[in-house]
Order: sequence, then C-alpha cells, then structure tokens
Amino acid sequence: MNIQEFLTIFISAVFIYNVILSRFLGLCSFIAISKETKPALAMSSAVLFVITMSSIITWFVYRFMLLPFNLTYLRTISFILVIATFVQLVEMVIRKFSPQLYRAFGIYLPLITVNCAVLGVAVLNIDMFFGNGKAVAGSFYYSIFQGICVGLGYTLAMLLMSGIRERLELCDIPRSLKDFPLAFIIAAILSLSFMGFSGFSR
Amino acid sequence: MKTLIKEFTRGIIKENPTFVLVLGLCPTLAVSVTVANGIGMGIAATFVLLGSSVIVSLIKDLIPDRIRIPCYIVIIATFVTIAEMSMKAYSPVLDRALGIYVPLIVVNCIVLGRAEAFACNNSMSRSFFDGLGMGLGFTLALILISAIREFLGSGQLLGHTLVKGFEPIFVFGMPSGALLVIGLLLGFFNFLKNRKT
Amino acid sequence: MRNNLIVSGSPHIHKKASVSRIMWTVVLSTIPAGIAGVIIFGWDALWIILAATIAAVSTEWVFELITRRKVTILDGSAVITGILLAYNLPSGVPLWLPVAGAIFSIIVGKAVFGGLGQNIFNPALVGRVFLMASWPKYMTAFPKPFSYDAVTSATPLALLKEGKLVEHISYWNLFLGNRGGCIGEVCILALLIGAAILLIKGYITWHIPITYIFTTALLTYIFGAKQFFHGDWLFHILSGGLILGAFFMATDYVATPLTPKGQVIFGVGCGLITVVIRLWGGYPEGVSYAILMMNAATPFIDRYTRNRIYGT
Repeated sequence: MNIQEFLTIFISAVFIYNVILSRFLGLCSFIAISKETKPALAMSSAVLFVITMSSIITWFVYRFMLLPFNLTYLRTISFILVIATFVQLVEMVIRKFSPQLYRAFGIYLPLITVNCAVLGVAVLNIDMFFGNGKAVAGSFYYSIFQGICVGLGYTLAMLLMSGIRERLELCDIPRSLKDFPLAFIIAAILSLSFMGFSGFSR
Repeated sequence: MKTLIKEFTRGIIKENPTFVLVLGLCPTLAVSVTVANGIGMGIAATFVLLGSSVIVSLIKDLIPDRIRIPCYIVIIATFVTIAEMSMKAYSPVLDRALGIYVPLIVVNCIVLGRAEAFACNNSMSRSFFDGLGMGLGFTLALILISAIREFLGSGQLLGHTLVKGFEPIFVFGMPSGALLVIGLLLGFFNFLKNRKT
Repeated sequence: MRNNLIVSGSPHIHKKASVSRIMWTVVLSTIPAGIAGVIIFGWDALWIILAATIAAVSTEWVFELITRRKVTILDGSAVITGILLAYNLPSGVPLWLPVAGAIFSIIVGKAVFGGLGQNIFNPALVGRVFLMASWPKYMTAFPKPFSYDAVTSATPLALLKEGKLVEHISYWNLFLGNRGGCIGEVCILALLIGAAILLIKGYITWHIPITYIFTTALLTYIFGAKQFFHGDWLFHILSGGLILGAFFMATDYVATPLTPKGQVIFGVGCGLITVVIRLWGGYPEGVSYAILMMNAATPFIDRYTRNRIYGT
C-alpha cells in the first residue's frame, strides 16, 4: 500500500477517467439533473455517500462471502441487491430522522440505485484490486478511496455542467440543440479538456 | 396480432430507447467504439430485456407493490448473470471488450424502465414484442453510433478498411468523440422532428 | 472599456460598432506575431494562417445563412478565431488540418452556443484540443526554426518533459523565437508588442495575464527542479504557449469572469493547472487545457464573485 497508488487513483478517478466524462457511468442522471446547480449538488452528495458506503459493503461481501465459497459468478446479483437494500435503508432512516432532508432529496435517492456509477464502481473495485481470486494488499483502502474519488469526480462534472447550463439559459441556442444535444456537446468539450491530465506519472 | 406488431415497431423508431427516450446511454457510448462491440452489446441487452419483460409480465400479480423494484432487479440480474456467463464461455473476446458494461446491463435504464412502465401492466405476448422491439431499436442505435465512430475514428468498419489513405480522426474513438456523436445525432433527429411539425 | 459594459447575465455587447472595433484591433495586435511566425517558419506558416482564417469565416457565414440568423462575419470574431487557431499549430501541418480545426472551432466552439457573446469556451482552443486528440502525429511534429525544410526538432518543453534538456537554451533564443514550436507562440517579442497595443487601448486588463504568468512563474520556481525553490521560472514563462495563451486567449471577453476578483481567480487557476500538466502530466504543454478547464469553471466563478448591489 503506497502513496503513489492513492495519488494515481485520485487523478484517474477524478480527472483522466472521470466517471461521467470518460467512463460514462451515471450519464442518465447527469444529463437529466445537471440543468440547475441545487439539484445537481443534492444528487452529487447523495451519490458520493452511497458510492463510498457501497464500496465498503461490496468489498466485504466479495471478500468474505463470494470468494471463499467460489460464488464469484453471483457478483452481479449480490452487488445490486446490496446496493438496492442499502439505498432503501438510507431512505427509511432519513425519512425517520429528518423529514426535511428527505424532502430535499426527493426522488434522487431511489434513482441512485440504478445509477450505473454505483454498481460500476463496485465492479471496478473488484476488477482492479482483486487478482487471481485473491485480494491485492491494501485493496480495502484502495476500494474505499476509489469510491470517494469517483464520487468527487461525479460532483466535479455535475457542478461544472450545471454552472454552464444555467448560464446558457439566457442564450440563443439553435432550436434542435436545446437541452440534451447541447449538454452532450458540452460534455464532449469537457471530456477533451480533462484529457490534458492524461499520462500523469510521478 | 396487429397490436403486437405495433408494440414491436414502436420500439424501433417512434419510441427508440436511445434517441427518443434517451435511456441506457452509459453502455451505448462506452461500447460503441466498434460495430462488432455494438452488435454484441445489443444482442446481450435484448436477451436480458426479453427475458425480464416476459417473466415480469407473467408474475406481475404475484409481486407486492412495495417491493416491486427490488424484485424486478433480481429477475433482471439473473438474466444478466446468464448472459455474462454465456459470453465468458462462448465469446471471451467480446466479454473482454465489453468489460464492466455487461454486468451494468442490470442497471440499464431501458431494461428496468420497460419492466416498470410496461411489462408489469401488460400481457406476456405484448411484453414480449415490446421487449423485442425495444431491444432491436437499441441495437440499431448502437450500430448507427458505432458505425460512425468506427469509420471516422479508425477508417474501418467491422475491422475492414474501407477507404484507402483515409486519415482516421482519432477523437471519435475516444469518450469525447462518443459524446460529440450522440449530441450531434440527437440534434439532427430533433431537427427532423421539428421540421415535421 | 470593460467598466462601460452593461452586465445582465452573460455579457451582451450591444453596439455592433464597438464589437467590430475591438475585434479588428485584436486582429491588428496579432499581426506582429504572425509576421514573426512567417519569418521564423517560412511561407507554410502564412498558408496555414490564411487557410484557418478563411475556413473560419466561411463556416460562420454558411452556418448563419443556413440557420437564418444575422450574418456577423464582418465583426472580425471569426477572423480572430481562425488566426488564434493557426497560431497554435506547428507549421508543418497539411492544409486540411487547420481547415478541419477551424470548422470545428466555429461550429462546436461557438455556433452551437448561439454565436458571439454566448460561447462558454474559447473557440480557437476548442479547435486546438480537437486537432490534438484527432491527429496527434501531425500536431506534435515541429519543424526546425529558420530551416525552411522538413527537418523537425522538439520544442523546449518537450525536451524538458523527456528529460533531454541537456544544454541550456538561451533566454534570448526563447524570447525572439529561435526555437521549435507553434506558429504564433514562439516569438515572445512580437506577442508582447501586440499585447501592449491591447493593454494601452484598454481592450484587455492586466488581471488575467499577469496573475496567470505570475502563478506559473511562482509554482515553477518552487517545484520546477529537483530541489524546492530552484526552478527555472524564466524558462517556463518564455516557453510553450504561455504568453500567447495568457494575453490573447485567456482574455477572451465572453469565456472569462466579469469581475476583477473573478479574473484573478481565473488567472491563478490557469497557472495552477498549466504547471501541474507541465511538471507532472503526460503532455509537455498544458496551456490550452488549463484555459478550457477554467472556461468551464467561469460560470461558477462569476456566481460567487458577483459585485454586491447597493442595498442588498
């Protein structure tokens, strides 16, 4: 477990292989919710939280339940069940303890279950930090950290996009390009810009 | 019979999941680098869509409403696991190419969306044709996007070089190019739609 | 000049005459660098500049015709985009490359946003990163200065990146442009003359360029060598596209913050990203990417540096 690896994970997850702009995970929610900053921020924080927690839980499930019993092919089913259950639990807890927060999140919480980013990161952690049926040294910390970084990358992309789209509300965009098409084109330019960080060594 | 045909064709053009409903974009953009990958993903997704739509419509009366989403997810996940394992066994090259996007079919908005919006309220035969149509529409969209990207990005189609001396525009093979293609295609289809009205 | 602009959402410049005057003056200010480029790299440079400019203007004209908008090609902004794009290219590129880049710049960098005054990103840079991603082979082959043939040499920053900067390149050479690089970026002297024109006329303010250059210098001084505080900051200021970017592209009215405080943040951000890419990233030069990323952050910067309205 070394600092270099953490730094690489951070730069990769946030900039070079940004979860939305490069891996396309969480794209549906990105395009739909990035129109205004407030919902974008709400969604991003919820996503960050869920991704981090699910990274932890799925790590345990894989390491102590699937691997030892040779059930790795049940990865997909078990992970998505874990995520769906977790989100349901979080929803119930928030509803009970802070109705205001629950109202603020609205429909975003259940939406996160189907956010490709959450399941995607869980699968990614396994692919990256488990090799030959064994966990790489320090894989637990790498997995959590990657989860956090992916959440941060998601937040960064959301915030940039929502700022831009809010600004464009006042502009004279060609009719066919309004909303979705332009959002994709902006994402394309953002993706190109973020490429500037590729090849990061050190 | 006529209504069944209607369900089928609806998913191809009028309610094309990619260009009209704008669903399931994550895998669309990620795998559309080559046409071969696009077709592979399209077939896998169609299989899952068909299977889950049929099963959901068959047992729709047995599922309590409160936990219907998790139930759908389990059903879908089962089919995805079958698809995943079949792919690993019969076409490891495709499996490696599609990578994490195969298990991600579980959360593909198209699959869950159709289960929630259609299969749980309709008969098995209608759900079957709806699933088939949507799957086909998705596959066709994938083929269109990946054909553009593969040709412009590497000068080839399905691995065969078409035009000699064509300087490939690498950006189309990259994520940025994917976003650009779908943005411009969506704009183009919007333009056609606006002209009609 | 800027203080007279009415601020209402994005900066909408109202009087057409003043927009044209500013744009054409900017064109004028880029001419010294263009002349220097042609002297240093030969007639190829001129053809590239012309190709990019004509393509940019034509694209804007065709787009405005097709979408039945007001034709604005005479305001000079498309010309600027073409020129700046060309200045960011090596002189050895085939002529279809600047044409493709110019078309992309105008369409994706400007037209889809609604035209002048509404683009989020600097159009010339959008075109440049597109070209860089699409045809990296052509975009990284830099002909030797003053050789007028096809011999290529690496740019100072590329040599630095590969650790091959064995002999010290004289600052004079860097300043006058006797080095490999893009057409408009190598002759610092010419660029500064142009920048002086713009500063004197008040068409650009010092905030962004000076903070950008200063941040870059400071960070490369601290981190640019094996020991802290030993970096060759003068080398970094004079190399690559920093001067070109700081004075001509990071000062794009539309794509940068409105308030002085915001502009300072913008300049610092650009400097930070540029240095990170130059010192630790895979590319030798990071100016284009830095400016584009800060362009993306500009709506945010504007939001949080809004001037307090009296009474609120």
